Formats: sequence, C-alpha cells, structure tokens
Amino acid sequence: MTKYIIRRVLGLIPTIFIIITICFFFIRLAPGGPFSSEKKLPPQILKNMQKKYHMDQPLIVQYGQYLVDVLRGDLGPSYKYKDYDVNYFIKQTLPKSMLLGGLALLVALILGIGTGMISSLKRNSWIDYSSMSVAVIGISVPLFVIAPILMYIFAMKLNWLPVAGWLDDGGAKTLVLPVLSLSAPYFAMIARLSRASFLDSLRSDYIRTARAKGLKTSVIMFKHVLKGASLPVVSYLGPAFSGIITGSIVIEQIFRIPGLGRHFVQSAFNRDYTMIMGTVIVYSLILVFMNFLVDIIYGYLDPRISYS
Amino acid sequence: MEMEHYNELNQHVKGVSLWQDALKRLKKNRMAMFGLYIIIFYALISLMAPILPIYSYKQQVLNHQYLPPSFKTAGQLLYEKKSYFLHAMAAKEGRTVLNSKEKKQLSDLKQSLAVEKKKLFNGKTVLVNQRHYLLGTDSLGRDLLARIIYGGQVSMMIGLIGALTSMFIGVVLGALSGYIGGRFDTLLMRFVDIMYSLPYLLLVIIFMAIFGRNIANLFFALAIVSWLTVARVVRGQVLSLKNSEFIEAARASGAGTGRIVFRHLIPNTSGVIIVYTTLTVPSFIMLEAFLSFLGLGVQAPFASWGVLIQNGVYAMTTYPWLLWFPAIAMTLFLFSMNFLGDGLRDALDPQSKNKL
Amino acid sequence: MKKDIILKVEGLKTYFNTDEGVVKAVDGVSFELSKGETLGLVGESGSGKSVSNLSIMSLIPSPPGKIMGGKVLFGDKSIFDLSEEEMRNIRGGKIGMIFQDPMTSLNPFLRISTQMVETIVLHKKVSKHEAKKRAIEMLDLVGIPKAYDRINDYPHQFSGGMRQRVMIAMALSCDPEVLIADEPTSALDVTIQAQILELIQSLSKKLGTAVIMITHDLGVVAGMCDNVNVMYAGRIVEKGTNDEIFADPKHPYTQGLIKSVPRLDKPKQKRLYSIEGQPPNVIDLPECCPFFPRCEFAMDKCKTAYPPVTKFGDTREVSCWLYEEKTRGE
Repeated sequence: MTKYIIRRVLGLIPTIFIIITICFFFIRLAPGGPFSSEKKLPPQILKNMQKKYHMDQPLIVQYGQYLVDVLRGDLGPSYKYKDYDVNYFIKQTLPKSMLLGGLALLVALILGIGTGMISSLKRNSWIDYSSMSVAVIGISVPLFVIAPILMYIFAMKLNWLPVAGWLDDGGAKTLVLPVLSLSAPYFAMIARLSRASFLDSLRSDYIRTARAKGLKTSVIMFKHVLKGASLPVVSYLGPAFSGIITGSIVIEQIFRIPGLGRHFVQSAFNRDYTMIMGTVIVYSLILVFMNFLVDIIYGYLDPRISYS
Repeated sequence: MEMEHYNELNQHVKGVSLWQDALKRLKKNRMAMFGLYIIIFYALISLMAPILPIYSYKQQVLNHQYLPPSFKTAGQLLYEKKSYFLHAMAAKEGRTVLNSKEKKQLSDLKQSLAVEKKKLFNGKTVLVNQRHYLLGTDSLGRDLLARIIYGGQVSMMIGLIGALTSMFIGVVLGALSGYIGGRFDTLLMRFVDIMYSLPYLLLVIIFMAIFGRNIANLFFALAIVSWLTVARVVRGQVLSLKNSEFIEAARASGAGTGRIVFRHLIPNTSGVIIVYTTLTVPSFIMLEAFLSFLGLGVQAPFASWGVLIQNGVYAMTTYPWLLWFPAIAMTLFLFSMNFLGDGLRDALDPQSKNKL
Repeated sequence: MKKDIILKVEGLKTYFNTDEGVVKAVDGVSFELSKGETLGLVGESGSGKSVSNLSIMSLIPSPPGKIMGGKVLFGDKSIFDLSEEEMRNIRGGKIGMIFQDPMTSLNPFLRISTQMVETIVLHKKVSKHEAKKRAIEMLDLVGIPKAYDRINDYPHQFSGGMRQRVMIAMALSCDPEVLIADEPTSALDVTIQAQILELIQSLSKKLGTAVIMITHDLGVVAGMCDNVNVMYAGRIVEKGTNDEIFADPKHPYTQGLIKSVPRLDKPKQKRLYSIEGQPPNVIDLPECCPFFPRCEFAMDKCKTAYPPVTKFGDTREVSCWLYEEKTRGE
C-alpha cells in the first residue's frame, strides 16, 4: 500500500510537468504580451520592462528559468500589478476558494447521496419522481443561472442573505448562497448516480442474501449497500472537482468573493503570464492530488482492487 | 413489418426489432416525448425565424431602452412612463391633478410618439412606437424576443455542430483504437488520460482570452476536448464486440480493417452514439454559455443564450426580465435535451437504467 | 401420514405486474415439509420454484411482485400475518437460505467474518467474540481449511465451491429448522457439485435440518431427496416419494424429464431424449394444461381446462387428464 502511494506520487510529477510545459508555451504562442495592451509604452521603457522580467531572453531560456523558479516554490512577480508577487496573491486567495469549493462538494455529497438513497428505497413513488425531476433541473440549469436567481430571490427580494461579500465582512451567512449555487449541479449528478447505483445494489444477489439473513433495512442500507453503491460516486468525484474549480471562477465573480478564480479571466485578458501560470499550476496540483485521493479511496472501498 | 402471430396457447407473440422496441419504450416515456416536442418546437422557431414577424436582433431604438415585457405598444409604454413620472412630481407638490403645462407636455408626447418614424436596417421606414415588445427590450432598445430567438439559433448551432464534430472524432478514434489495439490504443488512451487530468476549461479560457474571441476559435477550443469521453465509451463498446462471433465471421470472410470498423463495429454501437450525441448537445450549449458568460464567447452584435444571460445578470436588480426570459428559454431547451437523452438511453439500453 | 409438519404451503399464488401483463409465476402451489425431511422441487427455469420459496420468506420484491393468495404455515404461525420484525427472526434464524450463484451471493465488500458474525449475533443473541468462534466452527464443519485465518478474507479470495461452502456455513450457523437451497450447485463445476450436495445432505442429517432442494436437475434430486415435487408453469404437476417418481413417473412431463437424464446404467441410447418446445410464457395464460403443446398425449380436453389432482395412495398426486378416469372412479 505504502509502495503504491509512493509510486503514484512519483507518477504525478510528469503530469504536473506536462501541464506546466503546455501552459507555458501555449500562452507565449499568442501574439502580443503583457505590455502590449493599453497605451503604447515608449520603446526604451518597454525594453527595460522586458529586461526586468527576463522577457528579452530566448523563450527556451525563460522556460528553464521558470521551471527552476517553480521548483523553488517561487511563482514570480505579477506582470500587471507591479511589486505584487503571485505567491502572495495565491496565499491570500487560495484558502477562500478552497473553503468555498470544499463546502460545496461536501454539501453536494451529503445531500446527493441522501437523496439517491431515499429515491432508490422509495422507487417509483412521488418522492422518487420529484427528487429526480429536481435533479434533472439541477443538471440542466447552468451554474450562472442558478446563482443569480438564488441571489435575486434570497438576497434582493427576501433580504434573508447578503448579496455578496465574504466571512470577514458578512459572517457565515455570506457563504450560504455561493456554496448552494456551486453545489447544485454536483448535487444533481450525485443524486442521480447514487440512485442508480443503489438500485443496482438493491437488486443484487448479495442484498437478497442479506435480507434472507433477517437483517434490518437500515443495517442493509448502511452496512451492505452503501459501500458498494458509493463506488460510482467516488469515481465521479474527479470530474466533480474539476467542475467545481471552473464553477468557482463564475461563482466568485457573481458573489464578488476574493478567491483565486475571481481574477483569472481578467489575468488571461491582461496576458499576465506569471499570474495565469501560477493559478493554473495551483489548480492543476489540487486536481491531480484530488484524483489521486479518489483512487486511494476507491481502493480502500473495494477490496477486490489490489495494489501489486 | 411487424411479425404477428398466436402460439398454441393462444398467446399473442410479436417479433420486434431492437429499434421498434426502443421506439415503443421511448413513446411510453412521457418526459422524453415532452422533451422531443419542445425540441421540435425550438427547431421550427429557429428555422422559420427569418419569415416570422419578429424584429431585428440588432436594431437599436435608443429611446426604447429597458421597456418591460408587455402586450402594449412601445408608444403606450413611453406615454405611461411619462405620465407616471409627471403624476409623481405633482404628488410631491401636493397636487392630485396635473397643471396645464404638464397636460400639454403629455399631449405633445402623445402626438410625437404617434408619428415618430425611424429608418430600419432593412431600409424600411416604420412608426417605431407602434412596435410591440412582448418580452421587453434591453439596454440598447433591442427586442428581447428577437434576441432570444436569434441567440438560440447561435446556441443550438454551436451545440449541434459541436456535438456532431466531437462525435465524429470520438467515434472514429475510439473505434480504431479499440479495434487496432496495441501501441495506437495505448498512446491514444494515454493521451486521453492526460487530457482528463488537465483542467482543460482553464486552458480553453486562456485560449479564448489570448487568441481572440470569435466563433471559430470557440468552436475549435471546445471541439478539441469534447471528443475524449465519446472516444473512451466507443472504445469500450468496440472492445467488447471485437471478439464476438459476427466480427470473427466478417474477418473470416476476408473483410479488411476499414470495412469491419465502419460497416460492422460502428453500426453496432449506434445506440450508444445516438444517446451520447443527444447528451453532448446540451453540454456543448452549456460550455458555450459558460464562456459567453465570462465574456469569452460570441461577440456583439451576435448573441447567444449565454451572452443574454450575462447581460441579464448585470441588469437583474432593476430589469429582471432581462435575466428571466433568456434563462427560461435556455433552461427549457437543456431540460428537454436531457430528458430526451435519458429517455433514449433507457429505450435503447433498458439494462443500464439511469446509468451514466 | 407425515409427522411433525413444520412448513405447510397452501394454494400459494404469487403474481408479478409487468408492462406486458400479469405474470403468474406461482399459481396455486401446495406442499408440506416435515422435520428432517429433504424435499426436492424440480422444474425448468421459470417454472416458479424460486419464486415459491422467496414467497415463503416474504422476499418477493414488491412492486412488481405480489402474493395474491394462499397461506404459508411455519409451525403454527401463518407467515403472511407476521410483523416485519417477527418475519426477520424467521429469516436466517429459523429458515436459512443458500442461492444459486456463490460468486454474487456474498457481499464482495465485506469480510466473511463480518457477514457471518452479524447473522449469528442477530439470531443467537451472543457476543461478537462468541459469534466469531461459532462462525469458525461452522467454517470448519463445512470443510474450509484453516478456517481460523480464512474467516478474515474477502469473498473474492475464495473459489466458487469454497464460497458455496461459506454460504452453507452461514445459512446453518443459527441452527435453522429449514434450509432452502435454491439451485445450490448449478453454477459450480461438476466435480464440486457432488461435494456440495453431499455436504448439504450430511450436515442436514447431522443437524436435523429439513431441506427444500430446488433444482432443474433430476440427477441432484435422485441422490438425496425423500420426496419430490415436479413443477411446471407455476404449479406442481406431480408429487411423490423419490422412489415412486423415478420408478413410475405418471405425468408426461415427469416422464420426459426422467428420460432426458443421461444414464450410465442403461444401454447407450442413440440420442438423449429431450422434451420438444419451450416452457410457456406465463403471462395471460389461458385456461388449459400449459404442457399440452409439448405433450405427446395431448387431448382436446387439455386445451380447454386445467386437469384436477388425481391421488394415488397417501403420497402420490398427479395433475393430468390422463388419470381423470381414476378420479371419477373414486
């Protein structure tokens, strides 16, 4: 097991390397640069600026330099916000994004699995039909529609919750709407997935055996069904993480949350190379690590998977 | 033709093909049929948009900004607005009736509204204030109904063409990968795995921001990533079919790789392909809308549902209809596509009820 | 007369409502089981053997299944009148069950120890520790080598035959009065089949457990059952003791079944006999003997009405129009 984990962690390194490389050249491929927009700079200043950020050197040298910096944990200075480095920016914003995303995923998991479980037990009842219809709505309505609509109803019309803000200036209430909106699509997917897999499990021979042994429904559900039925949900967690990351970009904009994703699009427009790279690297690390975690959990849940 | 006969026990025996059987199951699924009708309705509206009596999606009538949805004419709405404003002013001064100056203002307005003409894009000159804006107007005085319909055209086109392109790439690569196997398969699946572990939407965002926001780029950015899942699914199907007797038979009778893949394997995975196409259309529309929402999608004067929703979000506090109508239009369509996709899956593959 | 009847099924009817119509999977089945008896229930797949026994345990998935009539008496209790809790005490505690496919009947996600201990704790009201001791004893008894170590393994670490042994150990761990074995050997290799059958037989004799052996294979029944019931299309068409059924099969269907068992002690036939045709679809079955399309003695009568039960002595019953004369005579 330990061996497997070490091997997997080592396996993550090339993935991260590929991501950095693709991103680096991808961004530099495009015409223009961070200083080419806005007003035109005098040639001498432009030259100095480029020199300051080592942009006068050949691309491959810049790439090598960047790799060394990243290995040392230095993501470089921002090109757009002078005297403001990417590490500091990430340290400020990442915890907020992680809290938002983590809570959203947790809510989606608990509500989703719960709904799926009840739906499968009460199959073809009105509870089943209505919760599955809600789930299809959750899948069909995009995040950027759900969020404004929730905001319009609960913040603007009913005044129950704040329109925007973050913990330090509005308390825990500010989290409710962003977390709910961000979790909605994943709640819906997880509810549908777990309903289907609970149904599969309930129909299986080993559940028939469990019933024939005289076990209670609750014991059957939590001890015999849950473990096997949660496997498809666990494999869905990978795509869900990735979706929550992109979703948080939208949510942070709508609710003006000072997170990592809020300025991502703006940085891309600004060609703020280091900022974009830094953000993508952090997101990729999270994603890759989460996928790794999912594999470990999967292996833990399913004894048939061996690590040799 | 449907075979029909009765056996010795006088029981009705029917022989139905896979497709007839699927169609029967689909027809029984009320939500899927509802979805199908809605989709047909949307398609008809989109196709007939040029001959329908709707206004231009880019015609700006500047004094018709932010008119609320109504059955009344624009002139009536403007008149009521002015009248409401004057009454409010009068009430401030403690009067319940308007003075003669104000009355004159109103009647003048009525006069001018009735005769004001404007030259439109199509060269015609019309009485603009006789226009009806059923769903209201936006910040530039454009008809929201027209914008939703034409925006829908764009969104649906992107969804359809995108789904077909990614299907085509995914099916061909997936089928070849599954059938040929070996190094080609390993390489392709390795590539798919790496693409999966990339936060590709972030790359798409960067791509759009850096390479310019036009429909072709958008399309390219989405198409290069969306075939992955299809390729994987089709590959799986092909792998399971590859060693079946009918493929052995085809091989034994001398059919080449191309013939086996395109004449035998792909047609036998058509159920899966149809289902995935149906489900890819809404996901493409969503992706486009997502990018448009971030300001990276379709650019003015064109619109898509995503663009309209983005505009609506910024105006929702005071002009909520700008959010509601595009949101409803888009959601209803996505809803229908998803229901139809689910229905098709259940109909074509009753074993895998509600699986992904 | 039979003594000490512990399980009595009377006119059991279990139907399933499907899109195609009502499936009368079990349509009026009656039989008795006395203490220590081994009863064989034989029939083709779809004849209602398994459904009858799942009905006895109230394990029919509902909807779509529904018990439409009849009674099941376990001792003096009517099973359909019991509360869910009382029913749970019977399942696993008083009636144990083993199923066809040992590969899927054990929960792949839980250790054998977990699965066995939970049953013993539930029905024997003992501590976990004692339950585990009991479980190891049982595994020993069914012939699992190194039971003490292997009890902590997961099902996938056992072979098919070993898993079926585990199932038997689990089903018998709470000293049930009845063991229902639903095709316990159909999914196993032929060599393993004989071992498992012998195990069931010897254990049931040793523990005094009555066994209902459900099978489509007359060969299985011949070796080990006291009495045999033959089922066709949801009903029992012939009952008798083991010897009676094999020596003198009366129903044409039973005759066909016996003829189609390959035998070593008879001169080699040119070709093994097989009953022509398919078992009927039990949806919307008209009033008739459902076997008539496949029956070589079919008469006009067979097409319009189900034959009454004809009794031969205490132990034999046949439902076939061929023996109608005798019924009328009595």
